[in-house]
Amino acid sequence: MRGGRALAALALWAFALVYLAPVAFMVVGSLKPDERVLTEAGSLAALWPAEASLQNFRDVLRRVDFPRYLLNSLWITGATVALGLVVNGLAGYALARLRWRGRRAALALVLALLVIPFEAIAVPLFYLVSLLGWRDTYTVQILPFVANAFAVYLFYSFFLDLPRELEEAARVDGAGVLRTFCSVVLPNARPVLATVAVTTFLFQWGSFLWPLLVTTGEAVRPLPVALAAFQTLPPRQWGDILAFGVMMVAPVVLLYLLFQPAFLRGARLAGPKG
Amino acid sequence: MEGRGTGPSLPCPPRRGAAGLLLLAVLLALAACGRSPTEGQGPQGGAAPLEVWAHAGQEAERRVLEAQAARYNASGPAIPVRLTFLPEGGYNAQVQAAALAGDLPCLLELDGPYLAHYVWQGKLRPLDELLPEALRRDLLPSILAQGTYRGRLYGVGTFDSGLGLYGRRSLLEAVVEAVGAELPRGPEEAWPVERFEALLEALAARDPDGAVLDLGLQLRGEWYTYAFAPVLHSAGSSLLAPGPDGRLHAVGVLDGPASVAALERIQGWIRRGWVDPNLDEAAFTAGRVALAWGGHWDFPRYREAWGEDLVLLPLPDFGRGSRTGQGSWVWTVTRGCDRPEAAAAFLRFLLRPEEILAMTAANAAVPARRSAVARSPLYGPQGPLRLFAVQLAGGWAVPRPRTAAYPVVTSAFQEAFAAARDGLDVAAALRRAARTIDRELAEGGYGAEARGL
Amino acid sequence: MGRRPGASEPFSEEARAGRWLTAPALAGLLLFALLPFLGAVALSLTDLRLGSPRPPAFVGLEQYQRLLEDPAFLAALGNNLLFALGVVPVQTGLALLLALGLNRRFPGQMALRTLLFLPVVFPMALVAVMWTVLYAPGPGGAVNAFLEAVTFGLWEPRDFLRDPAWALPAVMLTSVWQGVGFQMVVLLAGLQAIPRELYEAARVDGAGPWRQFLHVTLPGLRNPLLFVVLVTAILAFRVFDQIQIMTQGGPGQATTTLMYEAVRAAFVRQQLAQGAAISVVLFLLVLGLTLLQRRLLRQRQVLA
Repeated sequence: MRGGRALAALALWAFALVYLAPVAFMVVGSLKPDERVLTEAGSLAALWPAEASLQNFRDVLRRVDFPRYLLNSLWITGATVALGLVVNGLAGYALARLRWRGRRAALALVLALLVIPFEAIAVPLFYLVSLLGWRDTYTVQILPFVANAFAVYLFYSFFLDLPRELEEAARVDGAGVLRTFCSVVLPNARPVLATVAVTTFLFQWGSFLWPLLVTTGEAVRPLPVALAAFQTLPPRQWGDILAFGVMMVAPVVLLYLLFQPAFLRGARLAGPKG
Repeated sequence: MEGRGTGPSLPCPPRRGAAGLLLLAVLLALAACGRSPTEGQGPQGGAAPLEVWAHAGQEAERRVLEAQAARYNASGPAIPVRLTFLPEGGYNAQVQAAALAGDLPCLLELDGPYLAHYVWQGKLRPLDELLPEALRRDLLPSILAQGTYRGRLYGVGTFDSGLGLYGRRSLLEAVVEAVGAELPRGPEEAWPVERFEALLEALAARDPDGAVLDLGLQLRGEWYTYAFAPVLHSAGSSLLAPGPDGRLHAVGVLDGPASVAALERIQGWIRRGWVDPNLDEAAFTAGRVALAWGGHWDFPRYREAWGEDLVLLPLPDFGRGSRTGQGSWVWTVTRGCDRPEAAAAFLRFLLRPEEILAMTAANAAVPARRSAVARSPLYGPQGPLRLFAVQLAGGWAVPRPRTAAYPVVTSAFQEAFAAARDGLDVAAALRRAARTIDRELAEGGYGAEARGL
Repeated sequence: MGRRPGASEPFSEEARAGRWLTAPALAGLLLFALLPFLGAVALSLTDLRLGSPRPPAFVGLEQYQRLLEDPAFLAALGNNLLFALGVVPVQTGLALLLALGLNRRFPGQMALRTLLFLPVVFPMALVAVMWTVLYAPGPGGAVNAFLEAVTFGLWEPRDFLRDPAWALPAVMLTSVWQGVGFQMVVLLAGLQAIPRELYEAARVDGAGPWRQFLHVTLPGLRNPLLFVVLVTAILAFRVFDQIQIMTQGGPGQATTTLMYEAVRAAFVRQQLAQGAAISVVLFLLVLGLTLLQRRLLRQRQVLA
């Protein structure tokens, strides 16, 4: 039994090594002269740089306006997350806790809209925002993703399960709805806030299809679209492309390592109840 | 991080974790730069700059255009220009999307064969009044033809293109005699395709990995149509041809036996391993192949790699003589532009012989004006790229079809060529492409425009 | 949040607050989900083209009829199905194995969980670019070399992304690589929620590890597994980024997907109405899967 357990752990570690080899490949490749990325791809040198240099990173910064793309992505993602927490959190709370006419209809609408995948509305939404002259702005990349049926639903079911006693005590003390929400409900809502923040963050940071459709120039171009454009920008140099990739993913990996519990809990809470 | 919030006495906004504060700080910091990314940068509050969109092509080309815009702006024009580069892949889709919102720039670069489509859509303004007569007379006939649709001039390029076979003289000369071929000195001496194949075979026998030809297969988009539609012409076929009713159609032409045989031949080269997959665009410069099917824009890199060993040859003859591509990017003035004169002023600047030569010195293209060709070291009588000029002047170059339906024509052909590249059934792929094109011509609402010119 | 609710009339204040607090989310959802969705349906009944000077006309169900005759659309539909049929079992099975492995204590267990979840935070566009290089053809390509090494030279190098038989599986593997960590964490949480006593009771009844797995673990994981399977299936119908970056639908139509065809129709061929029609079909498929999921998950909740 004990031997089996050790073997399983060993197998897991071996698997993890192979599984993460592509990440190592990217990092190592970003440190190598361009032509050696492909010529050494089939040897162990793919995973170990003989002589490392930051030349590719300098090349990326020289060839394209990487800081601009990074700021664009940070701004779009940050704004969507912040606005989304407020808008969806309040709606989830109102649907779960407050009594008002129209609540059931609103809830039914949110649940119904849950089934519309973004992909199914991308084409007409593109047409709509183009007619409105919204292309090529931050707004068009942020606003459509603030209100989110799934986030409302997550908040709603979380608040539904929260014990009522604390809120009732606050209300008896004369606190209004908002004040009760801020002072009693929010401090206990950290798990769901983290979940919604992380899922929104990952979705927006990786968003590709939508900005591909609605951005033209570089002014508001986010990282994933910039990467795809860079990948086909002549001359095609794989060391540079991988360096771009490393710079693009580094902030997220850093956030992930710092706030790992939030990420993992996010994945868990986004899963099913029970 | 796991600390639980406490009693009901917390004020609003409540104390939040460090993460919340951090997020807020980041947001505030970014709010400043998030405000107006596209604000005008007119000097000293002068007129808003004129928007100019161009494709993000070769690096050297981009640098020159940037420098030209800077020179122009420094020369103190009434209205300065501002350049925006759009990725080459999906360029047309991007521009079309922007057009929906009326967001087109004043001066818009287009890939030549798309011009008819934009004229049909009513997006372009004729240039006849905007460019002086003397300048127009100095343009190469191929440049005028490319920019003219239904009798009016809508676009002018600062250069035309050249397409041929780059080779390494030393490697070729080692095998040409064995296969009974000589290095052709002009398009009329182009190798018949059978001899070309014998040459590939002989080269492959001496090559470590057997791959001796670069077809630029890693490139996407318009390259396939530009580089391989001429093969159809050389085989006696084409993409489109007018039927008895005078309307253009592709069925029976693009999917005819001559087209199928030509593409199957190229597919055979790939299948026999003669073609380098070229994931890194370095097959020729790194010495992996002896021959490269390439455009003028490849010349600077290739010349740098091989110097005097580099030789430029006509494409092989698939039966009706060597044929090659022509046409390139053109400048157009959009109909919605409220300052067409300013757009034309910058265009005239770009068309000055010295500016044309600055561009063509960087990208090695054929200068668009006769006066510039005469001064070009690359295209003079002894110039290394003389062949491109000869091909253009001598009728060896064929334009891509000038029809409003071009976006669908080219995308259908590209798809068929990609299928051939990947070893799929060529006849079926061409049949599908021809049907797609014919349906588009019939139903796209092009009316008389489908007839082309 | 501009409104400060007065404290005098608790009941009407609550009603007012309810409406105001919900309003921004509802407005957003109506404007950016419901309206475009209705727009998709409406557009799909016309022949609207991007940039065409000709005004659009109502054509009824013609766009849908056309789709049924369009080999590219049918190929896309088939590929999405294959994608789901391939990715769902592989990804779920792998995630389950990893979750089971991580559900016991051993040195470095936490670190391993951290590492295996890592690709989930990678944007798909980047993952697609990375794997494009890894799939480089010839014996010098990373994946080819790896397979050659582990099969002791039996592997014949391939051009994965240009090979009609291998391109779709190659893209599928890329997706599994990026997504399996998420499922692993969901399943791990499910495993940890299974009461210890159930295992003990099973052991008392003389059940070995395999029977424990069948009779305690699997039933205990019913909901997480259902969730994971259906979410992955839904994602399989939404695939776009990998296709656009890695294969452009090729070779031939071997890797094209509904979303890729929708974008091609709407933007490359400029047939916006056709793109809208494909979007509606995509919606109906996802709707079917979602309803199935709700039904299965709700059933369980009633039973519990």
